[in-house]
Amino acid sequence: MAGIWVYSEDIEISKQLLALGREVAEKMQKPVCALTIADDAQELIAFGADKVFVLKGDSIWPEAYAATIADLAKTEAPEAIFMGATLRGKDVAAKVAAALDTGLSTEATAIRVEGDVIEADRMVYGGLAVRTEVLAAPAMATIPARSFEALAKDDSRTGEVVEVAATFDARLSVGAVSPIVRQGADLSVAEKVIGVGRGLGKEADLEMVKELAGLMGAEIGCSRSIAEDYHWMPAESYIGISGAKIKPQIYLTIGVSGQVQHVSGVRDSRIIVAIDKSDTAPIFEAADYGIVGDLYQVVPALIEALKK
Amino acid sequence: MPNIIACYKWVLDEQDIKVGANLSLDTSRAKGKISDYDRNAIEEAVLLNEKLGGEVIGLTYGASVKPSLKDALSRGLTKAVWVEDASAETADARVISNVLAAAAKKEAYDVILCAEGSSDTYTQQIGPRLATLLGIPAITFVSAMKIEGNKVIATRNLGSCTEEVTAEFPVLLTVLPEINKPRIPSLKQVLGASKKPNTQVKAADLGLDASALAPKAQMKSLKGFTMSRKNVILKDGEVADKVATLVASLKKEGIL
Repeated sequence: MAGIWVYSEDIEISKQLLALGREVAEKMQKPVCALTIADDAQELIAFGADKVFVLKGDSIWPEAYAATIADLAKTEAPEAIFMGATLRGKDVAAKVAAALDTGLSTEATAIRVEGDVIEADRMVYGGLAVRTEVLAAPAMATIPARSFEALAKDDSRTGEVVEVAATFDARLSVGAVSPIVRQGADLSVAEKVIGVGRGLGKEADLEMVKELAGLMGAEIGCSRSIAEDYHWMPAESYIGISGAKIKPQIYLTIGVSGQVQHVSGVRDSRIIVAIDKSDTAPIFEAADYGIVGDLYQVVPALIEALKK
Repeated sequence: MPNIIACYKWVLDEQDIKVGANLSLDTSRAKGKISDYDRNAIEEAVLLNEKLGGEVIGLTYGASVKPSLKDALSRGLTKAVWVEDASAETADARVISNVLAAAAKKEAYDVILCAEGSSDTYTQQIGPRLATLLGIPAITFVSAMKIEGNKVIATRNLGSCTEEVTAEFPVLLTVLPEINKPRIPSLKQVLGASKKPNTQVKAADLGLDASALAPKAQMKSLKGFTMSRKNVILKDGEVADKVATLVASLKKEGIL
Protein backbone atom coordinates (compact mmCIF):
# COMPACT_ATOMS: atom_id res chain seq x y z
CA MET A 1 0.00 0.00 0.00
CA ALA A 2 3.09 2.22 0.21
CA GLY A 3 1.87 5.65 1.22
CA ILE A 4 3.20 8.70 2.98
CA TRP A 5 5.72 7.96 5.73
CA VAL A 6 6.55 10.04 8.75
CA TYR A 7 9.33 9.47 11.25
CA SER A 8 10.94 11.17 14.18
CA GLU A 9 12.75 9.86 17.22
CA ASP A 10 10.73 12.51 19.09
CA ILE A 11 7.07 11.49 19.56
CA GLU A 12 5.87 15.11 19.72
CA ILE A 13 7.39 15.83 16.30
CA SER A 14 5.96 12.56 14.95
CA LYS A 15 2.49 13.77 15.96
CA GLN A 16 3.07 17.08 14.14
CA LEU A 17 4.35 15.25 11.05
CA LEU A 18 1.23 13.06 11.07
CA ALA A 19 -0.85 16.21 10.54
CA LEU A 20 1.27 17.04 7.47
CA GLY A 21 1.19 13.39 6.40
CA ARG A 22 -2.63 13.29 6.49
CA GLU A 23 -2.88 16.48 4.44
CA VAL A 24 -0.52 15.16 1.76
CA ALA A 25 -2.01 11.65 1.87
CA GLU A 26 -5.52 12.91 1.26
CA LYS A 27 -4.42 14.82 -1.83
CA MET A 28 -2.53 11.82 -3.13
CA GLN A 29 -5.16 9.27 -2.03
CA LYS A 30 -2.63 7.29 -0.02
CA PRO A 31 -2.46 5.93 3.51
CA VAL A 32 -0.20 7.42 6.20
CA CYS A 33 2.44 5.22 7.81
CA ALA A 34 4.42 6.19 10.87
CA LEU A 35 7.77 4.66 11.77
CA THR A 36 8.86 4.47 15.37
CA ILE A 37 11.71 3.10 17.44
CA ALA A 38 9.67 3.38 20.66
CA ASP A 39 6.68 1.62 22.12
CA ASP A 40 4.12 4.20 21.03
CA ALA A 41 2.32 2.65 18.04
CA GLN A 42 -1.21 3.13 19.44
CA GLU A 43 -0.46 6.77 20.22
CA LEU A 44 0.69 7.33 16.62
CA ILE A 45 -2.51 5.71 15.31
CA ALA A 46 -4.61 7.96 17.57
CA PHE A 47 -2.85 10.97 16.06
CA GLY A 48 -3.45 9.96 12.45
CA ALA A 49 -1.35 6.97 11.36
CA ASP A 50 -3.10 4.24 9.33
CA LYS A 51 -0.18 1.90 9.83
CA VAL A 52 2.83 1.87 12.12
CA PHE A 53 6.14 0.14 11.52
CA VAL A 54 7.79 -0.51 14.89
CA LEU A 55 11.53 -0.87 14.37
CA LYS A 56 12.68 -3.38 16.96
CA GLY A 57 16.27 -3.51 18.05
CA ASP A 58 18.45 -3.27 21.10
CA SER A 59 20.12 0.01 20.12
CA ILE A 60 18.91 3.15 21.85
CA TRP A 61 20.87 5.26 19.35
CA PRO A 62 18.31 6.63 16.83
CA GLU A 63 20.97 7.13 14.13
CA ALA A 64 21.57 3.37 14.10
CA TYR A 65 18.14 2.75 12.55
CA ALA A 66 18.86 4.57 9.25
CA ALA A 67 19.87 1.40 7.40
CA THR A 68 16.74 -0.46 8.55
CA ILE A 69 14.50 2.43 7.47
CA ALA A 70 16.23 2.52 4.06
CA ASP A 71 15.83 -1.24 3.57
CA LEU A 72 12.17 -1.08 4.54
CA ALA A 73 11.58 1.82 2.15
CA LYS A 74 13.21 -0.12 -0.69
CA THR A 75 10.68 -2.92 -0.15
CA GLU A 76 7.59 -0.82 0.59
CA ALA A 77 8.25 2.02 -1.89
CA PRO A 78 6.55 4.97 -0.15
CA GLU A 79 5.64 8.02 -2.24
CA ALA A 80 7.11 10.37 0.36
CA ILE A 81 9.05 10.31 3.62
CA PHE A 82 8.89 13.22 6.05
CA MET A 83 11.26 13.24 9.00
CA GLY A 84 11.67 15.59 11.95
CA ALA A 85 14.52 18.04 11.37
CA THR A 86 16.28 17.39 14.67
CA LEU A 87 20.04 16.89 14.37
CA ARG A 88 19.54 13.14 14.73
CA GLY A 89 16.67 13.24 12.22
CA LYS A 90 18.75 15.12 9.64
CA ASP A 91 21.53 12.54 10.02
CA VAL A 92 19.11 9.65 9.51
CA ALA A 93 17.27 11.33 6.62
CA ALA A 94 20.46 12.00 4.64
CA LYS A 95 21.61 8.39 5.05
CA VAL A 96 18.20 7.06 3.99
CA ALA A 97 18.10 9.43 0.99
CA ALA A 98 21.55 8.28 -0.12
CA ALA A 99 20.57 4.62 0.20
CA LEU A 100 17.38 5.26 -1.80
CA ASP A 101 19.30 7.36 -4.34
CA THR A 102 16.75 10.14 -4.00
CA GLY A 103 16.53 13.86 -3.25
CA LEU A 104 15.94 15.38 0.16
CA SER A 105 14.81 18.86 1.12
CA THR A 106 16.38 19.93 4.43
CA GLU A 107 14.29 21.93 6.92
CA ALA A 108 11.46 22.48 4.48
CA THR A 109 9.30 25.48 5.40
CA ALA A 110 6.42 24.43 3.13
CA ILE A 111 5.34 21.24 1.39
CA ARG A 112 2.95 21.35 -1.57
CA VAL A 113 1.36 18.66 -3.70
CA GLU A 114 1.12 19.67 -7.37
CA GLY A 115 -0.71 16.87 -9.18
CA ASP A 116 1.21 13.80 -8.12
CA VAL A 117 4.46 15.68 -7.55
CA ILE A 118 5.65 17.02 -4.21
CA GLU A 119 7.55 20.26 -3.96
CA ALA A 120 9.19 21.95 -1.00
CA ASP A 121 10.36 25.42 -0.03
CA ARG A 122 13.53 25.95 1.95
CA MET A 123 15.86 28.77 2.93
CA VAL A 124 19.22 29.19 1.20
CA TYR A 125 22.10 31.70 1.43
CA GLY A 126 21.66 32.05 5.16
CA GLY A 127 17.98 32.96 4.82
CA LEU A 128 18.45 35.54 2.06
CA ALA A 129 16.36 33.54 -0.40
CA VAL A 130 13.72 30.84 -0.65
CA ARG A 131 14.42 27.95 -2.97
CA THR A 132 11.49 25.91 -4.25
CA GLU A 133 12.48 22.43 -5.29
CA VAL A 134 10.59 19.67 -7.07
CA LEU A 135 11.22 16.32 -5.43
CA ALA A 136 11.44 13.11 -7.45
CA ALA A 137 9.76 10.07 -5.88
CA PRO A 138 10.29 8.97 -3.23
CA ALA A 139 10.11 12.60 -2.11
CA MET A 140 11.98 13.23 1.12
CA ALA A 141 12.03 16.25 3.39
CA THR A 142 13.00 17.06 6.94
CA ILE A 143 10.58 19.34 8.77
CA PRO A 144 11.45 21.53 11.77
CA ALA A 145 9.65 20.96 15.08
CA ARG A 146 6.43 22.93 15.61
CA SER A 147 5.92 23.54 11.87
CA PHE A 148 2.55 21.79 12.06
CA GLU A 149 0.01 21.45 14.81
CA ALA A 150 -0.81 17.87 15.76
CA LEU A 151 -4.37 16.74 15.01
CA ALA A 152 -6.73 16.12 17.92
CA LYS A 153 -6.14 12.74 19.50
CA ASP A 154 -8.75 10.20 18.46
CA ASP A 155 -8.54 6.98 20.46
CA SER A 156 -11.27 5.40 18.31
CA ARG A 157 -8.97 5.31 15.26
CA THR A 158 -7.63 1.93 14.30
CA GLY A 159 -4.56 0.95 12.36
CA GLU A 160 -2.20 -1.84 11.57
CA VAL A 161 0.98 -2.37 13.59
CA VAL A 162 3.90 -4.20 11.98
CA GLU A 163 7.13 -5.05 13.78
CA VAL A 164 10.37 -4.89 11.82
CA ALA A 165 13.64 -6.32 13.13
CA ALA A 166 16.40 -3.71 12.92
CA THR A 167 19.98 -4.45 11.89
CA PHE A 168 22.93 -2.40 13.07
CA ASP A 169 26.39 -1.33 11.98
CA ALA A 170 28.75 -2.85 14.54
CA ARG A 171 31.62 -0.60 13.44
CA LEU A 172 30.40 2.29 15.59
CA SER A 173 30.13 2.31 19.34
CA VAL A 174 28.39 4.96 21.38
CA GLY A 175 29.88 5.57 24.80
CA ALA A 176 29.11 8.17 27.41
CA VAL A 177 26.02 10.29 26.80
CA SER A 178 26.02 13.42 28.94
CA PRO A 179 23.12 15.82 29.17
CA ILE A 180 24.07 19.44 28.54
CA VAL A 181 22.90 21.58 31.42
CA ARG A 182 21.59 24.75 29.88
CA GLN A 183 23.14 27.86 31.30
CA GLY A 184 20.18 29.95 30.22
CA ALA A 185 16.58 29.35 29.30
CA ASP A 186 15.51 27.72 26.05
CA LEU A 187 15.67 30.69 23.67
CA SER A 188 13.38 29.02 21.13
CA VAL A 189 10.39 29.36 23.47
CA ALA A 190 11.36 32.62 25.27
CA GLU A 191 8.84 35.49 25.14
CA LYS A 192 11.47 38.22 25.35
CA VAL A 193 15.01 37.94 24.02
CA ILE A 194 17.97 40.33 23.95
CA GLY A 195 20.68 39.60 21.37
CA VAL A 196 24.20 40.94 21.73
CA GLY A 197 26.71 41.34 18.93
CA ARG A 198 30.20 42.51 18.25
CA GLY A 199 29.28 46.10 18.97
CA LEU A 200 29.86 45.12 22.57
CA GLY A 201 33.44 46.08 23.45
CA LYS A 202 34.30 43.49 26.07
CA GLU A 203 32.95 40.50 27.91
CA ALA A 204 32.48 42.45 31.15
CA ASP A 205 29.93 44.66 29.39
CA LEU A 206 27.57 41.71 29.40
CA GLU A 207 26.79 42.75 33.00
CA MET A 208 25.03 45.85 31.69
CA VAL A 209 23.04 43.67 29.29
CA LYS A 210 22.13 41.30 32.11
CA GLU A 211 20.78 44.21 34.15
CA LEU A 212 18.59 45.26 31.22
CA ALA A 213 17.47 41.65 30.71
CA GLY A 214 16.54 41.41 34.38
CA LEU A 215 14.38 44.53 34.15
CA MET A 216 12.66 43.33 30.98
CA GLY A 217 12.33 39.69 32.03
CA ALA A 218 14.27 38.73 28.90
CA GLU A 219 16.68 35.92 28.06
CA ILE A 220 20.02 36.72 26.42
CA GLY A 221 21.28 35.31 23.14
CA CYS A 222 24.03 36.45 20.82
CA SER A 223 25.37 36.63 17.28
CA ARG A 224 27.57 33.88 15.95
CA SER A 225 30.95 35.51 16.58
CA ILE A 226 30.17 36.20 20.26
CA ALA A 227 29.67 32.46 20.83
CA GLU A 228 31.98 30.89 18.27
CA ASP A 229 34.89 33.32 17.99
CA TYR A 230 34.91 35.17 21.32
CA HIS A 231 33.36 32.41 23.47
CA TRP A 232 31.75 35.04 25.69
CA MET A 233 28.54 33.04 25.70
CA PRO A 234 27.87 29.28 25.31
CA ALA A 235 27.31 27.83 21.81
CA GLU A 236 23.60 27.29 22.60
CA SER A 237 23.15 31.09 22.92
CA TYR A 238 23.97 31.68 19.27
CA ILE A 239 20.90 32.89 17.39
CA GLY A 240 20.76 32.39 13.63
CA ILE A 241 20.03 30.02 10.82
CA SER A 242 22.48 27.40 12.10
CA GLY A 243 21.83 28.22 15.76
CA ALA A 244 18.74 28.93 17.83
CA LYS A 245 15.68 30.10 15.94
CA ILE A 246 13.53 32.32 18.09
CA LYS A 247 9.97 33.65 17.96
CA PRO A 248 9.56 35.99 20.94
CA GLN A 249 7.15 38.91 21.40
CA ILE A 250 10.15 41.21 21.40
CA TYR A 251 13.69 40.75 20.18
CA LEU A 252 16.02 43.58 21.18
CA THR A 253 19.46 43.67 19.59
CA ILE A 254 22.45 45.47 21.09
CA GLY A 255 25.43 46.01 18.81
CA VAL A 256 24.29 43.36 16.31
CA SER A 257 25.06 44.35 12.72
CA GLY A 258 22.36 42.06 11.36
CA GLN A 259 23.98 39.69 8.93
CA VAL A 260 21.46 37.67 6.99
CA GLN A 261 22.25 34.43 8.87
CA HIS A 262 21.37 36.13 12.15
CA VAL A 263 18.24 37.84 10.89
CA SER A 264 16.84 34.64 9.40
CA GLY A 265 16.91 33.09 12.89
CA VAL A 266 14.77 35.89 14.35
CA ARG A 267 12.32 36.62 11.55
CA ASP A 268 9.37 35.12 13.41
CA SER A 269 9.79 37.64 16.24
CA ARG A 270 6.71 39.86 16.68
CA ILE A 271 8.67 43.08 17.27
CA ILE A 272 12.35 43.61 16.53
CA VAL A 273 14.20 46.52 18.16
CA ALA A 274 17.76 47.43 17.23
CA ILE A 275 20.40 49.50 18.99
CA ASP A 276 23.59 50.11 17.02
CA LYS A 277 25.95 52.96 16.30
CA SER A 278 25.99 52.52 12.51
CA ASP A 279 22.90 53.82 10.74
CA THR A 280 23.79 51.68 7.73
CA ALA A 281 23.80 48.42 9.74
CA PRO A 282 21.48 45.93 8.01
CA ILE A 283 19.78 45.20 11.34
CA PHE A 284 17.80 48.45 10.99
CA GLU A 285 16.16 47.15 7.80
CA ALA A 286 14.98 44.15 9.79
CA ALA A 287 13.83 46.22 12.77
CA ASP A 288 10.45 47.65 13.73
CA TYR A 289 12.09 50.18 16.03
CA GLY A 290 15.65 51.27 16.25
CA ILE A 291 17.97 53.72 17.93
CA VAL A 292 21.11 54.80 16.12
CA GLY A 293 23.63 55.64 18.81
CA ASP A 294 26.40 54.57 21.14
CA LEU A 295 25.13 51.52 22.97
CA TYR A 296 27.12 52.59 26.05
CA GLN A 297 24.85 55.63 26.27
CA VAL A 298 21.62 54.09 24.98
CA VAL A 299 21.58 50.93 27.11
CA PRO A 300 22.18 52.74 30.46
CA ALA A 301 19.49 55.28 29.50
CA LEU A 302 17.10 52.43 28.68
CA ILE A 303 17.90 50.80 32.04
CA GLU A 304 17.14 54.09 33.81
CA ALA A 305 13.89 54.53 31.87
CA LEU A 306 12.73 51.00 32.74
CA LYS A 307 13.55 51.49 36.42
CA LYS A 308 11.06 54.34 36.59
CA MET B 1 50.03 8.30 9.81
CA PRO B 2 46.44 8.72 8.71
CA ASN B 3 45.43 9.99 5.30
CA ILE B 4 42.67 12.52 5.73
CA ILE B 5 40.34 14.01 3.14
CA ALA B 6 38.79 17.36 3.98
CA CYS B 7 35.86 18.20 1.70
CA TYR B 8 35.11 21.81 0.97
CA LYS B 9 32.76 23.83 -1.21
CA TRP B 10 33.60 27.02 -3.07
CA VAL B 11 30.51 29.20 -2.62
CA LEU B 12 29.38 32.73 -3.37
CA ASP B 13 29.79 35.07 -0.42
CA GLU B 14 26.17 35.57 0.60
CA GLN B 15 26.98 38.95 2.18
CA ASP B 16 27.42 40.37 -1.33
CA ILE B 17 24.26 38.89 -2.85
CA LYS B 18 21.53 41.48 -3.20
CA VAL B 19 17.80 40.98 -3.54
CA GLY B 20 16.46 42.88 -6.54
CA ALA B 21 13.13 44.65 -6.92
CA ASN B 22 11.39 41.63 -8.43
CA LEU B 23 12.86 39.36 -5.72
CA SER B 24 15.52 38.10 -8.12
CA LEU B 25 19.01 37.60 -6.73
CA ASP B 26 21.85 39.77 -7.95
CA THR B 27 25.06 37.77 -7.54
CA SER B 28 27.17 39.97 -9.82
CA ARG B 29 29.14 41.44 -6.90
CA ALA B 30 29.49 38.22 -4.94
CA LYS B 31 32.95 36.70 -4.87
CA GLY B 32 33.82 33.09 -4.17
CA LYS B 33 34.90 31.86 -0.76
CA ILE B 34 35.51 28.59 0.99
CA SER B 35 32.24 27.88 2.76
CA ASP B 36 32.59 29.12 6.35
CA TYR B 37 32.30 25.83 8.23
CA ASP B 38 34.40 23.98 5.65
CA ARG B 39 37.29 26.05 6.98
CA ASN B 40 36.74 24.30 10.30
CA ALA B 41 36.86 20.92 8.54
CA ILE B 42 40.12 21.84 6.78
CA GLU B 43 41.58 23.24 10.01
CA GLU B 44 40.75 20.09 11.98
CA ALA B 45 42.28 17.91 9.26
CA VAL B 46 45.44 20.03 9.26
CA LEU B 47 45.68 20.01 13.07
CA LEU B 48 45.49 16.21 13.04
CA ASN B 49 48.05 16.08 10.25
CA GLU B 50 50.47 18.32 12.16
CA LYS B 51 50.23 15.93 15.10
CA LEU B 52 50.16 12.59 13.30
CA GLY B 53 51.67 13.10 9.86
CA GLY B 54 50.29 11.46 6.74
CA GLU B 55 48.51 13.30 3.99
CA VAL B 56 45.69 15.80 4.17
CA ILE B 57 43.84 16.16 0.90
CA GLY B 58 41.34 18.88 0.08
CA LEU B 59 38.52 17.61 -2.13
CA THR B 60 36.07 19.87 -3.91
CA TYR B 61 33.51 19.83 -6.72
CA GLY B 62 31.94 22.82 -8.40
CA ALA B 63 31.28 24.59 -11.67
CA SER B 64 34.31 26.83 -11.19
CA VAL B 65 36.59 25.71 -8.37
CA LYS B 66 40.08 26.37 -9.70
CA PRO B 67 40.12 29.81 -8.02
CA SER B 68 39.65 28.04 -4.65
CA LEU B 69 42.89 26.08 -4.77
CA LYS B 70 45.25 28.77 -3.54
CA ASP B 71 43.07 29.61 -0.55
CA ALA B 72 42.51 25.95 0.32
CA LEU B 73 46.15 24.92 -0.03
CA SER B 74 47.38 27.89 1.99
CA ARG B 75 45.45 26.52 4.96
CA GLY B 76 47.86 23.62 5.39
CA LEU B 77 46.54 20.91 3.06
CA THR B 78 49.24 18.78 1.43
CA LYS B 79 47.37 18.49 -1.86
CA ALA B 80 44.07 19.26 -3.51
CA VAL B 81 41.81 17.18 -5.74
CA TRP B 82 39.23 19.11 -7.70
CA VAL B 83 36.36 18.22 -9.97
CA GLU B 84 35.22 21.11 -12.14
CA ASP B 85 32.07 20.35 -14.08
CA ALA B 86 29.01 22.20 -15.36
CA SER B 87 26.77 19.62 -13.68
CA ALA B 88 27.47 21.46 -10.41
CA GLU B 89 25.28 24.35 -11.59
CA THR B 90 22.15 22.29 -10.98
CA ALA B 91 23.53 19.76 -8.50
CA ASP B 92 21.55 18.83 -5.39
CA ALA B 93 23.09 17.18 -2.34
CA ARG B 94 22.68 13.78 -4.02
CA VAL B 95 24.70 14.77 -7.09
CA ILE B 96 27.41 16.45 -5.00
CA SER B 97 27.71 13.31 -2.85
CA ASN B 98 27.84 11.06 -5.93
CA VAL B 99 30.75 13.06 -7.33
CA LEU B 100 32.65 13.38 -4.04
CA ALA B 101 32.21 9.66 -3.31
CA ALA B 102 33.49 8.67 -6.75
CA ALA B 103 36.48 11.01 -6.41
CA ALA B 104 37.24 9.89 -2.83
CA LYS B 105 37.34 6.25 -3.99
CA LYS B 106 40.36 7.13 -6.14
CA GLU B 107 42.29 8.24 -3.04
CA ALA B 108 43.64 6.19 -0.15
CA TYR B 109 41.92 7.62 2.93
CA ASP B 110 41.44 6.74 6.56
CA VAL B 111 39.31 9.67 7.68
CA ILE B 112 37.02 12.03 5.76
CA LEU B 113 36.04 15.35 7.32
CA CYS B 114 33.14 17.51 6.17
CA ALA B 115 31.48 20.54 7.70
CA GLU B 116 28.01 20.05 9.16
CA GLY B 117 26.64 22.20 6.32
CA SER B 118 27.60 24.76 3.66
CA SER B 119 26.93 28.47 3.91
CA ASP B 120 25.01 28.62 0.62
CA THR B 121 22.51 25.75 0.63
CA TYR B 122 23.15 24.32 4.13
CA THR B 123 21.51 21.00 3.32
CA GLN B 124 23.61 19.27 6.01
CA GLN B 125 23.42 16.12 3.88
CA ILE B 126 26.84 15.69 2.27
CA GLY B 127 28.63 14.00 5.19
CA PRO B 128 26.07 11.29 5.99
CA ARG B 129 25.30 10.76 2.29
CA LEU B 130 28.96 10.41 1.40
CA ALA B 131 29.53 7.89 4.21
CA THR B 132 26.53 5.87 3.05
CA LEU B 133 27.74 5.82 -0.57
CA LEU B 134 31.24 4.79 0.54
CA GLY B 135 29.86 2.21 2.96
CA ILE B 136 31.70 3.67 5.95
CA PRO B 137 30.36 4.85 9.34
CA ALA B 138 29.42 8.52 9.80
CA ILE B 139 29.80 10.48 13.01
CA THR B 140 27.92 13.76 12.61
CA PHE B 141 27.90 17.07 14.53
CA VAL B 142 31.31 16.57 16.12
CA SER B 143 32.56 19.20 18.57
CA ALA B 144 35.84 17.49 19.50
CA MET B 145 37.82 14.57 18.13
CA LYS B 146 41.05 12.66 18.53
CA ILE B 147 42.78 9.80 16.76
CA GLU B 148 44.41 6.94 18.68
CA GLY B 149 46.05 4.38 16.43
CA ASN B 150 43.44 3.50 13.83
CA LYS B 151 40.58 4.63 16.03
CA VAL B 152 38.66 7.90 16.02
CA ILE B 153 37.08 9.06 19.26
CA ALA B 154 34.62 11.89 18.72
CA THR B 155 32.34 13.98 20.88
CA ARG B 156 29.05 14.86 19.22
CA ASN B 157 27.12 17.90 20.39
CA LEU B 158 23.40 17.39 19.84
CA GLY B 159 22.19 20.49 21.62
CA SER B 160 20.57 18.73 24.56
CA CYS B 161 23.37 16.21 25.15
CA THR B 162 26.84 15.22 24.10
CA GLU B 163 27.79 11.71 23.05
CA GLU B 164 31.12 9.99 22.75
CA VAL B 165 31.29 7.87 19.59
CA THR B 166 34.18 5.62 18.58
CA ALA B 167 34.93 4.04 15.20
CA GLU B 168 37.89 2.49 13.47
CA PHE B 169 39.25 3.69 10.11
CA PRO B 170 37.83 4.35 7.60
CA VAL B 171 35.30 6.76 9.03
CA LEU B 172 33.65 10.05 8.07
CA LEU B 173 32.97 12.89 10.50
CA THR B 174 31.07 16.15 10.11
CA VAL B 175 32.41 18.91 12.33
CA LEU B 176 30.69 21.78 14.10
CA PRO B 177 32.19 25.30 13.95
CA GLU B 178 32.95 25.13 17.68
CA ILE B 179 35.57 22.41 17.08
CA ASN B 180 38.36 24.92 16.34
CA LYS B 181 39.22 28.39 15.13
CA PRO B 182 40.46 28.29 11.54
CA ARG B 183 43.86 29.88 11.05
CA ILE B 184 44.43 32.91 8.90
CA PRO B 185 47.09 31.81 6.42
CA SER B 186 50.39 33.67 6.61
CA LEU B 187 51.92 35.32 3.57
CA LYS B 188 54.45 32.47 3.42
CA GLN B 189 51.67 29.90 3.41
CA VAL B 190 49.82 31.80 0.69
CA LEU B 191 52.95 31.96 -1.45
CA GLY B 192 53.74 28.30 -0.76
CA ALA B 193 50.26 27.20 -1.82
CA SER B 194 50.98 27.49 -5.52
CA LYS B 195 53.86 25.00 -5.19
CA LYS B 196 51.68 22.31 -3.66
CA PRO B 197 50.32 19.55 -5.87
CA ASN B 198 46.77 19.66 -7.14
CA THR B 199 45.00 17.11 -9.30
CA GLN B 200 42.10 17.84 -11.57
CA VAL B 201 39.72 14.93 -11.98
CA LYS B 202 37.28 15.04 -14.88
CA ALA B 203 33.67 14.18 -14.05
CA ALA B 204 33.72 11.93 -17.13
CA ASP B 205 36.48 9.84 -15.53
CA LEU B 206 34.48 9.14 -12.38
CA GLY B 207 32.35 6.39 -13.88
CA LEU B 208 29.09 8.24 -13.20
CA ASP B 209 26.21 8.09 -15.66
CA ALA B 210 24.08 11.10 -16.64
CA SER B 211 21.38 10.29 -14.08
CA ALA B 212 23.93 10.35 -11.23
CA LEU B 213 24.72 13.95 -12.21
CA ALA B 214 21.09 15.10 -12.59
CA PRO B 215 19.34 16.47 -9.49
CA LYS B 216 16.38 14.75 -7.86
CA ALA B 217 15.62 17.80 -5.75
CA GLN B 218 15.39 20.09 -8.73
CA MET B 219 15.27 23.85 -8.34
CA LYS B 220 12.02 25.33 -9.62
CA SER B 221 12.50 28.88 -8.40
CA LEU B 222 14.82 30.99 -6.26
CA LYS B 223 13.37 34.15 -4.78
CA GLY B 224 14.74 36.71 -2.38
CA PHE B 225 13.10 36.65 1.02
CA THR B 226 11.79 39.95 2.27
CA MET B 227 10.41 40.82 5.64
CA SER B 228 8.13 43.75 6.15
CA ARG B 229 8.90 45.66 9.34
CA LYS B 230 7.89 49.08 10.62
CA ASN B 231 11.43 50.50 10.32
CA VAL B 232 10.87 53.36 12.79
CA ILE B 233 14.52 54.30 13.27
CA LEU B 234 15.49 57.14 15.61
CA LYS B 235 18.71 58.72 14.41
CA ASP B 236 18.96 62.31 15.60
CA GLY B 237 18.40 63.94 18.97
CA GLU B 238 19.36 63.37 22.58
CA VAL B 239 19.79 59.81 23.79
CA ALA B 240 17.26 60.30 26.61
CA ASP B 241 14.62 61.52 24.15
CA LYS B 242 15.19 58.64 21.74
CA VAL B 243 14.97 56.14 24.60
CA ALA B 244 11.76 57.77 25.88
CA THR B 245 10.22 57.57 22.40
CA LEU B 246 11.23 53.91 22.08
CA VAL B 247 9.81 53.01 25.50
CA ALA B 248 6.54 54.78 24.64
CA SER B 249 6.31 52.84 21.33
CA LEU B 250 6.95 49.52 23.04
CA LYS B 251 4.29 50.31 25.67
CA LYS B 252 1.86 51.02 22.86
CA GLU B 253 2.74 47.63 21.36
CA GLY B 254 1.83 46.10 24.71
CA ILE B 255 5.32 44.69 25.22
CA LEU B 256 6.67 46.70 28.16
